[in-house]
Amino acid sequence: MANINRRTVVSGAGLAVTCLAYPALARTTFRLGLSPVFLDNNAIVIEAIQEALEASLGVAIKLEQRRTYKEVTGLLLEGAVDAAWLCGYPYLQHSSQLALLAVPVWRGRVLYQSYLIAGADNPAASLKDLRGATHAFSDPDSNSGYLVTVSDLARNGETPDTFFRRSIYTFGHRNVVRAVADGLVASGSVDGYVWEVLAAQEPHLTKRTRVVSKSEWLGFPPVCARKDRHDTPLVQSFKTALFEFSETRLGSQVLQLLQLDGFTDADPSIYDGISARMKVIETLR
Amino acid sequence: MAILARIPLSLRVPLFAAILMVLAGAFASQQVLSTLSRVQDDRLRELAILHVESLSVALGPHVLREDIWEVYDVLQRASGERRGQRMVFTAVTDRDHRIIAATDPRRAPIDEMLPQDLEAAQSPDNLSIPGDGARLVLTAPLAYQGRELGDIFTELDVSDLVSERRIAGLYLLLGNALATGVLAVMGYVAMRRMLRPISRLAQRMRETAQSPEPIPEDDIPSGDTEVTRLVQTYNAMAWAIDAKAETERRLAERERFVSLGRLSSSLAHEINNPLGGLLNATDTITEYADRPDVVRQSATLLKRGLEHLRDVARATLDHNRLDRSSAPLSHEDFDDLQLLIGPEIKRQQQTMDWRIEADDAAIARFASAPLRQITLNLLLNASSAAGRGGKVELDLSAASGGLKIEILDSGSGLSEEAEYRLLSSGPVQPGGGVGLRLVHDLVAELGGTLKAERRDGMTVISILVPFGDPEGRAAC
Repeated sequence: MANINRRTVVSGAGLAVTCLAYPALARTTFRLGLSPVFLDNNAIVIEAIQEALEASLGVAIKLEQRRTYKEVTGLLLEGAVDAAWLCGYPYLQHSSQLALLAVPVWRGRVLYQSYLIAGADNPAASLKDLRGATHAFSDPDSNSGYLVTVSDLARNGETPDTFFRRSIYTFGHRNVVRAVADGLVASGSVDGYVWEVLAAQEPHLTKRTRVVSKSEWLGFPPVCARKDRHDTPLVQSFKTALFEFSETRLGSQVLQLLQLDGFTDADPSIYDGISARMKVIETLR
Repeated sequence: MAILARIPLSLRVPLFAAILMVLAGAFASQQVLSTLSRVQDDRLRELAILHVESLSVALGPHVLREDIWEVYDVLQRASGERRGQRMVFTAVTDRDHRIIAATDPRRAPIDEMLPQDLEAAQSPDNLSIPGDGARLVLTAPLAYQGRELGDIFTELDVSDLVSERRIAGLYLLLGNALATGVLAVMGYVAMRRMLRPISRLAQRMRETAQSPEPIPEDDIPSGDTEVTRLVQTYNAMAWAIDAKAETERRLAERERFVSLGRLSSSLAHEINNPLGGLLNATDTITEYADRPDVVRQSATLLKRGLEHLRDVARATLDHNRLDRSSAPLSHEDFDDLQLLIGPEIKRQQQTMDWRIEADDAAIARFASAPLRQITLNLLLNASSAAGRGGKVELDLSAASGGLKIEILDSGSGLSEEAEYRLLSSGPVQPGGGVGLRLVHDLVAELGGTLKAERRDGMTVISILVPFGDPEGRAAC
């Protein structure tokens, strides 16, 4: 004990304070669910989001990533996460339980398109030219990566099983682009926003694909929370933080990485197009 | 083999050593290459098994769920994107060899049958690198949770291993060729050096084939090696041959005098008998000095006696004169022989026929010494064989191409030993017959032939000596 000097005592006191403070922080951790609509393979993007949100909210941020929309939506519905970046399609599937927190603004709009892509050397001019081919979907709960193409087929009385020789799921928009570019499949349904971002960041990948057709403009994948938690201070703080991303340094960094203009409030009516397509496939069932 | 046998030993042994070195080098190279090949195969097999097993673990659940994307993604991540990678292509098929996914989907599209070039795949357990190909294909069942879900086909790039083997082979070949070349040359030089005394011995034997000469002490290899002992044995043999030649020379010399020795007794009588009459003549001259007629008669008697003595002395001297070898043969030589053999014939109370039918010109083509010696030796032997009261004959005639001398006697014939000495060239013991071996040797030197036969109860020894150069005489 005689050897304990002043520095040791100070260090020990600092450690004690940290230990006492941690349980309080742990109780206020904000959990955000992320899905493959996002460029979730990019660790830099993930870290930037976490850093920006922690700076804005002043609490620890835990990002929960899952392979499928179903899993992330499940986490949100069961309360395992406070909010989640979903897709318009699962949002509409559970619109009675979910509330819109924010919608990304891309190229000045809260809208995006679904791209039907094929290999660069594939001469197909439209979906009907891809009959009997192999096709990659992103996720069975993705609007751009599934619903758009399936509803287009449904309008012609077709299903993926009757129209394509084989269809696969890649559970990631970037994976759809890879599958088509590598020739694993002849065509794919991909998020138009993701394809455009990839075209800027990984042109060698998109160069081996070509866009066969684009869908109408549809509501951009939203950030949602459970309706019963929507008005909690933390969720509201989170919403505000997203809206203010464009005004903070870290937030701007995130937006730059995602090539988004910002986040905004939007009316649920921007998802009417998706809703209409959902109805098409529901009639087919 | 005949060609090999013609190569001298001093060249054949070093060459053989060099060939052995080359063979040893080739064998060593083959062993090293085979070991390298085995090590490479083992390394590759280990790598292949590891690759296939880890793929099985990673792919199993995805294949089970038919999750094509995940199978493809795993294959992509497993193959990596590094340059110079070993696994260049991998495909996963179901049990019917229908493609589930492959690292290169364009080469092996999903749901299609396995490309034919992958059909001839090897199992990892007996994988071996081909001698020339740059790639090989291996296959292994894809097992998960004890079930065989399909197969994994992997194409391996083994060009670096093949190239490594080729380069190793080349370096080995060059290195071994150099090493064996140096060793072969060293072996050749060492062998040549070791065999040099034998080569020298062989050369010496070749050069001195007629009369072997010993190798000087300085040239004998030091130590107590086989070669030293061989050279020493050769020297001892050469000295022995020298000694034998000297002995034979002395023997021949002695045989030359044997005939005179045999004649000495009868020649002494030949000189002694007239001496009594000569002394009587001198007494008569002394006593009747005043009677001229008696003195004249005694002087005539004295002269005739002395002339006889002079003839006997001359014949004996002629026979032994050293420089007579160059003198031509003449009828006087046969007169001398008759004079020399005459007392022996008389002593033995024998009769002798003496027929000289060859003319002077034919006789003069030969040197006198050898033919005198031959004839005298044979006459002495004939007289000895004829015995008391026997008969001896001499026939000298010019035959076609030479001079023919025949000596006949009424004896019982040549003994086996005498015939051997006279007619053969084999080794003989001293003694036995009066210089019969000398007769054989002289006739051989003259290039003549000898024959012994029985004819009309007589023993006939025939000699035919050919005429040599008309100018020069057949010299001994």
